[in-house]
Amino acid sequence: MKGSAYTLSYAGVLGAACALLLTGVASFTAPYRNANADADRKRNILAVLQVPYPEKVSSEELVSVFETNVREEKSGGLELYRYVPDQDSEADEAVAVHFEGPGLWGPIKGFLALDTDMRTIRGITFYEQEETPGLGGEIVSDWFRRGFEGKKIVDESGEPGIIIKGGGETNAINEVDTISGATMTCDKVEELLNTVIVKIVKEKS
Amino acid sequence: MADKQPACMTCGGQGLCGGRGLLTLKEGAWKNNPLAIQMLGICSALAVTNRLENSLVMGGALIFVCVCSNLFVSLLRNITPHRIRMIAEVAIIATFVILFDQFLKAFYWEMSKQLGPYVGLIITNCIIMGRAEAFALQNPPVLSIVDGIANGLGYAVILAIIGFFRELLGSGEILGYPVLSSEWYEANQLMILAPGAFFMMGVVIAVFNVLKGPDTEENK
Repeated sequence: MKGSAYTLSYAGVLGAACALLLTGVASFTAPYRNANADADRKRNILAVLQVPYPEKVSSEELVSVFETNVREEKSGGLELYRYVPDQDSEADEAVAVHFEGPGLWGPIKGFLALDTDMRTIRGITFYEQEETPGLGGEIVSDWFRRGFEGKKIVDESGEPGIIIKGGGETNAINEVDTISGATMTCDKVEELLNTVIVKIVKEKS
Repeated sequence: MADKQPACMTCGGQGLCGGRGLLTLKEGAWKNNPLAIQMLGICSALAVTNRLENSLVMGGALIFVCVCSNLFVSLLRNITPHRIRMIAEVAIIATFVILFDQFLKAFYWEMSKQLGPYVGLIITNCIIMGRAEAFALQNPPVLSIVDGIANGLGYAVILAIIGFFRELLGSGEILGYPVLSSEWYEANQLMILAPGAFFMMGVVIAVFNVLKGPDTEENK
């Protein structure tokens, strides 16, 4: 039987070798991975703002569509992406706001697009989430996201907040249908959306 | 026996590659197929086979990881302390899985998004751990590589077959190209969904076992 010291040093050396190899590979692939993630983020912003772009598009073309149509700015702790279709007038057609927060299993990140009144939802997208596939993971599905379209981020009295609600009846202007079996995820989504909504309403009242 | 086998660089003509090498290959890919006979790695096989392309990449990933982990487990087999051998195996396997995942994320982003967590989950794939424990720990490196290829191939081919038929029947396409015209073929959505994976896998495993025949003494 080999001694504990040998076992420990074997584990140490093997661990260090694996770690070194992975660190090397990670730093080698980092620029490519970041470029991919950035293109993916831009694609999400274009989609949520409903900026038209060709379906089969290279990363470079995508970035150029993004740069001509979208203006990035920060204001009051919000990351805003303004859709400016007409380059001369510089008038917004829609504004996307970045949001992120804890989900049930991991961080949820996405964009909420609003019409120019800054109250009506134009669209929503989630570009990063680790919710349960088939249950909470359904937040990325079309039917759930479409439920947000045309809804308001304030209730009738102008109080900020959106309600993700069960029972199928979503009559109020700020109510969205929930996902059955994914109550926890929906609660988290509601919470993180409302955090950003309060900020939007405060900023753009 | 040595004179009957072709001489070989790695075993000095002892019949290791000619004899055991071929045997190992046949054993892993056919007689003891990890998916169809041992029923290992079912989870990922059900999850990623909705399209042929996904199946091929996943099969490739498994071959790569199985070969690399078998090689290194085998190389280190005489100096690895017995008590921590499984932790060492997992560390080696995890390293190669993450390596593959990183390359996928860097150069094949779309595929990486489609396969989602299943590439990372190769770490827990019983096939790889099983081969490291059952084969690479007792056998020399070259033979372990052969075993890795055999078992990886056994998994990959079955995956490709399932993926081929699921994509064909489920969306009428092969690798994204329309094959069955939508004019006369109504795509069967069931094949794309999880239950379709179960049906297709059942059929493939049944056919595999019929072709292989019963496990008689002379067959072994």
